[in-house]
Amino acid sequence: MKKQIILFTLLSFCFGKVRVVTSTTDLADIVKTIGGDRVTVTSIARGNQDPHYVEILPSYMFKVKKADIYFMVGMELDLWAKSIIDGSRNRHIDVVDCSIEIEKMEIPTGTVDARMGDIHRFGNPHYWLDPKNGKRIAKLIAEKLTNAEPKSSDLFRKNLDAFNLQLDKAILDWEKRFVNLQGKKLIYYHNSWPYFSNYFGLETVEFLEPKPGITPSPAKLNHIIQRIKSDDIMVIASESYFSDRVPKFIASKTGVKTVKLAQSVGAMEGADSYIHLFETNLKILSQAFGVEHD
Amino acid sequence: MLQKLVGGLIFSGILFSQTMANPQFSIVGDLVMDQLQKDPNLSSSGIEIAVQGYVNPFARADVYLHKHNDDSPIELEEAVITVERGLPFGFGLRAGKFRPDLGKINKDHVHLFPFIEAPKGISMVLGEEFYAATGLEVNWLTPLPWYSNLSVGYFNSDISSHDHGEDVSDHIDHDHDDVHFDGEQDNEEKQATAFSARWSHFIDLNEVNHFEFGTSYYTDYEKSFGGADFKYKWRPNKYRSLTIQGEMIQFELGDKHEEKTVHPKEVLTAGYLLVNFQFNKAWNVGVMGDYWDFDLADIYSMDPSIFIGFSPAEESAVLRIRIGQVANDHEGHHEKYLKTTAQLIWSLGPHKPHRY
Repeated sequence: MKKQIILFTLLSFCFGKVRVVTSTTDLADIVKTIGGDRVTVTSIARGNQDPHYVEILPSYMFKVKKADIYFMVGMELDLWAKSIIDGSRNRHIDVVDCSIEIEKMEIPTGTVDARMGDIHRFGNPHYWLDPKNGKRIAKLIAEKLTNAEPKSSDLFRKNLDAFNLQLDKAILDWEKRFVNLQGKKLIYYHNSWPYFSNYFGLETVEFLEPKPGITPSPAKLNHIIQRIKSDDIMVIASESYFSDRVPKFIASKTGVKTVKLAQSVGAMEGADSYIHLFETNLKILSQAFGVEHD
Repeated sequence: MLQKLVGGLIFSGILFSQTMANPQFSIVGDLVMDQLQKDPNLSSSGIEIAVQGYVNPFARADVYLHKHNDDSPIELEEAVITVERGLPFGFGLRAGKFRPDLGKINKDHVHLFPFIEAPKGISMVLGEEFYAATGLEVNWLTPLPWYSNLSVGYFNSDISSHDHGEDVSDHIDHDHDDVHFDGEQDNEEKQATAFSARWSHFIDLNEVNHFEFGTSYYTDYEKSFGGADFKYKWRPNKYRSLTIQGEMIQFELGDKHEEKTVHPKEVLTAGYLLVNFQFNKAWNVGVMGDYWDFDLADIYSMDPSIFIGFSPAEESAVLRIRIGQVANDHEGHHEKYLKTTAQLIWSLGPHKPHRY
């Protein structure tokens, strides 16, 4: 009898885990932190991949086929997720939009159409780049994991509390160490950073893309070069998946510093967890601006 | 009646375009310029109207209408309901008029191709706009440890009832007593039902290398074909990819009556091989070899082409250029020409000219 109980326990630990698939590595990292050894988690998009465009591969559908929960970013960032979920033929999967509890930025008013480029109707979807939103995402993930496996609710609650505590500590630390970044002006390649800039007090002056998703034109580059010279802008920051070609060209004309930032967990060396994502980006920016940090 | 239906769809698309529960409404249009033997020609294949949306949490409906750039009426290309997550044991279902899961490219609309024109050999079998029929198709995700899908379909019309760009019978040696292909004749007498089947597999070699392959089979009262296809894709990042894709079909044209073959069969072997390289966000370039061969008639052709694509922003507009050899039968002579084609495709809405 004892042997049977041990075998059952072992089997339930091996095969009874909550199977989770996420759209991005940021969500996957938070799921892993909250779920611990009670979950298996896979991200569809890689960290260094543009989450707007993910080719819909049948192998992704295969990953979702036996999943219990799918966490998506929402706000039309990962529209591709719907086709993957449909193609999986998984009738029982719980599809969770992680943007539901988020205070959204840049919600367009009036008519939204292709003249505005790749604009998102429900607001800027890069909300995970505000650490406070990380706490909101984690709370939602804990709730959904608890629904899927109520018997592990204590573990999920404990891990959520630990995650919040760790993030709160990190936030306090960043606010002290990187205070000198506040008010610094910079140019981004794509508008992925309003939540990040807003939280850490950075001032976004321009984007290299004339409209979201549109390749910079010569006229736009000329305008950027003039703006850098007139406003004494020191840094151009781009997502890790963009080519260096355009920022380097502008740097050759103006002397501006160009850096790449990690837009997601795993995008760059050092950004190997949700908390380290911010740490990595803040260090890169403080070095680029030449401000002190410990 | 169809025009009223289209009008209603367009009106409702516009009316509900700002609501959350609307179907997605798209239009794809094009302009084609081609030059064959110093005769430049401007044309358009008209517009394709796509209305797509969820019927309920488990089923989707897709309607595609095509208005050719002439006096012909609006054509219903597809109107299909797809049940993807509503059935147990990994089963899916498509019902209505649609393009069966048959070969690698039959399911794709022409504007999704990087190479402008459908491969001639394949279109001799499936029709210039490929095979779409009214019927039912059951799909099953098999319990193999990789993505493996088996599709079986039953349809009310066969491949000969569709527009074939160049009729296969044009190429057959009619003096050969043993060879018979009756094209459109005796249509009323025929039981124009057809079965199709396809088994496809998709394997991740690693994060950036993928390989898929499949086998297909089709049969109706008279004709049958079997085919095999493969696609290899290397995609290290968003804007860079290499695709190698090929497909081969062996098509038995012979008559069948009472389920018995009564004439020796003419066999058409058709296929293509393409290599497409996307080297940055906007540009791609590729080569394609298009092959077909009638066994008894002893006619074959191998036509190479190169193609270039440019999509300036978000793939809502794509410019393509193709330079390739085409085979023409002119006054009994089988001649080959160089043809240059340029195509501008634009789209409104989520149904794009090219799919990522």
